[in-house]
Amino acid sequence: METTPVAPHPDYDLLRPIEQPGKSFYYIVAVLLVIILYAGVLYIRQVYYGLGVTGMAQPVTWGFYIINFVFFIGISHAGTLISAILRLSQAEWRRPITRMAEVITAIVLAIGGLHPIIDLGRPDRALHLFYNGRLQSPLLWDVTSITAYFTASTVYLYLPLIPDIAILRDRGVKPRWLYEFLSWGWQGTEKQHKVLNRAINILMVVVIPIAISVHTIISYIFAMTVQPGWHSTIFGPYFVVGAIFSGIAAILVLMIVFRKVFHLERYLKQVHFSYLGLLLLVMSLLWFYFTFSEYLTGYYGHEPNEMRVFWYKFSGDFAPYFWAMVCCNFLVPLILLGNRRTRTIPGILVASISVIIGMWLERLIIVVPSLANPRLPYPTGIYIPTHTEWMLFLGGISVFVFGYMMFARFFPVISIWEIEEGRQESAKAVSERIHSYMPDPDESPTKV
Amino acid sequence: MMNKKLINSLQVLSISLIWLLFTGIAVWILNLIKESLRLHDSPDASVGISLVAIPVFFTLSSVLTYVFIGLRKGRKKDDEE
Amino acid sequence: MKWGMVIDLQKCTGCGECVAACKLENNVAIVAPKESEMGRTMLWMDMLTVYEGEYPRLRVRQFPRPCMHCDHPPCTKVCPVRATYKNEEGIVAQIYPQCIGCRYCMAACPYTVKSFNWYKPEWAPGIRETTNPDVSVRPVGVVEKCTFCVHRLQKAKEQAKSEGRNLREGDFQTACAESCPAGAIVFGDLENTGHRVNHLSHSPRATKLLEDLGTEPKVIYLKEVD
Repeated sequence: METTPVAPHPDYDLLRPIEQPGKSFYYIVAVLLVIILYAGVLYIRQVYYGLGVTGMAQPVTWGFYIINFVFFIGISHAGTLISAILRLSQAEWRRPITRMAEVITAIVLAIGGLHPIIDLGRPDRALHLFYNGRLQSPLLWDVTSITAYFTASTVYLYLPLIPDIAILRDRGVKPRWLYEFLSWGWQGTEKQHKVLNRAINILMVVVIPIAISVHTIISYIFAMTVQPGWHSTIFGPYFVVGAIFSGIAAILVLMIVFRKVFHLERYLKQVHFSYLGLLLLVMSLLWFYFTFSEYLTGYYGHEPNEMRVFWYKFSGDFAPYFWAMVCCNFLVPLILLGNRRTRTIPGILVASISVIIGMWLERLIIVVPSLANPRLPYPTGIYIPTHTEWMLFLGGISVFVFGYMMFARFFPVISIWEIEEGRQESAKAVSERIHSYMPDPDESPTKV
Repeated sequence: MMNKKLINSLQVLSISLIWLLFTGIAVWILNLIKESLRLHDSPDASVGISLVAIPVFFTLSSVLTYVFIGLRKGRKKDDEE
Repeated sequence: MKWGMVIDLQKCTGCGECVAACKLENNVAIVAPKESEMGRTMLWMDMLTVYEGEYPRLRVRQFPRPCMHCDHPPCTKVCPVRATYKNEEGIVAQIYPQCIGCRYCMAACPYTVKSFNWYKPEWAPGIRETTNPDVSVRPVGVVEKCTFCVHRLQKAKEQAKSEGRNLREGDFQTACAESCPAGAIVFGDLENTGHRVNHLSHSPRATKLLEDLGTEPKVIYLKEVD
């Protein structure tokens, strides 16, 4: 299959943002850079004065930074995991989605991975992890698994990008050296396709367990302690489900944004939203199931310390957040996505945003109440994040938007060659596959 | 053509850097095991984790190298556009 | 050798002398009132209050709370850089220059005994000159807690060595034990049958905080008997 360009490229819609970037790109980038710069200044101030500039205190010693760490890493599960599962299950409708999902992972993971460092009281000593680290600490498990996931997902993003980079190289898009360098001499020969497909197949199998391990291990940070509300065996799968849940919501929001901004209606059709919307609904139900099991076992056991945390969430200081979370993560998606008439693109957008907010609240509800209710009778205040913490949160989101825009500026957000491959081969492959599941017409031996 | 040579050597350099990175990670983990043995600080846990982690990193770099070499070998014989 | 402490709640009057003595002995920073209201008070030895029952049968109990120096400390396990560890004499120690300030040990401690240096510690001009030269002043961004006055142990050991004898019971006392006017705090070697703590820790009144967690604290409380 050749990728030599013909004058008007059939997928020119996907190339336009790279070849002819609009002016608004620069305006948005400027605004984002200002926010990022401001957040950076606040961070330097925090390093200078100490963590006292945050709202954290004793006993709530972990706040926004750890919450956002868990939240961002959760969002990152969108990408590679979903894309790998869809590729593995040979879902043909995946073709325009996988790239977008993988980019989320790579960017958000880098942001999320930085959060524990932002949270350090002594970031200047972060290198102690390298020469005096202790592999028995769950934090070191995290360092290892996040590094593995980040490298794996970057490779998994990069390899399927090579043929598209070659398209851009062949079209002479500037900066030429970049595309020349990254395309690794791709010419689209049969042998090259074979090598690439084999590598992608290996990677998608490797990447799924790594992705699951990452969020499991993040839950272990909490579950490995003996604190009420944290010390739970279902935390691993509970976090993984929550991560995939928030990840799908993030993909949906991005798909809707790109569809609108880049006019990708031809590529991202109702069916993609409808399928992913249903997946989001399933994850919502699964999330509810886990939440229900987690709290029911705590409640029924009625261990006094566990109950203090329980009531703190159900009717105490955190009740507004807790019930908002239940609405955002369960009721809203259930109503909007469970009903065919509201399972439209605007409906899905509302549900997805609601899920993202809800999942952030879930992280808040997991981190803070257990710390705010120590076992011994201490006076406890309430954790109120400061301006610094809010701005660093906003800064993190800005870095994400900025990173995504930079990616979309230089690379196609929808895989051109996979769409092309789909056009040429999918119909045949699918009909053959269907043929293979169906009962054979009769007993007489026929040629398959 | 000078430019092509430069890009070519940069590509080789980048793939070597990836190997260097992953070897560095492996050395780091081995160093942590050594440290935990020295301090009697649950070396069993460290060994267990490294048994999983190190092969993962080397699988990744092997896959990348496989693609890198595979794409070069798979190029058309005549080097014309 | 296994250093431990026995606190007799029958004798404790809740006067708070141990809290003050500890603070002075260990150069524990004094935070501004506003910070203190936020919950950033730094106390290695704290006096906790428990309210039992309801009016008119309300009963207020107070008890001093140092670090428990658990035999199975949940805090040392989670430290990513070995900035906290249990030494061979059973003391759970902090290594301030090693701590990266992740505060994982604070989150993992079921007794919530650790304090964090949210800001650089500062002393009023007069107090600065009276800081204890034997105890290092902690920098900003690290976790600290009760060390069983380990600096006194070092001194006592050197003294005993120079005199060519073994450590005696009275040689090493923590500041809180020494200062307690009611003699409620007794400190010593739990494994040495000659020490009072060994004897007291076998008292029928002996109890440990949150014993069911299996942390095996080396601070033992003697219950009040009414």
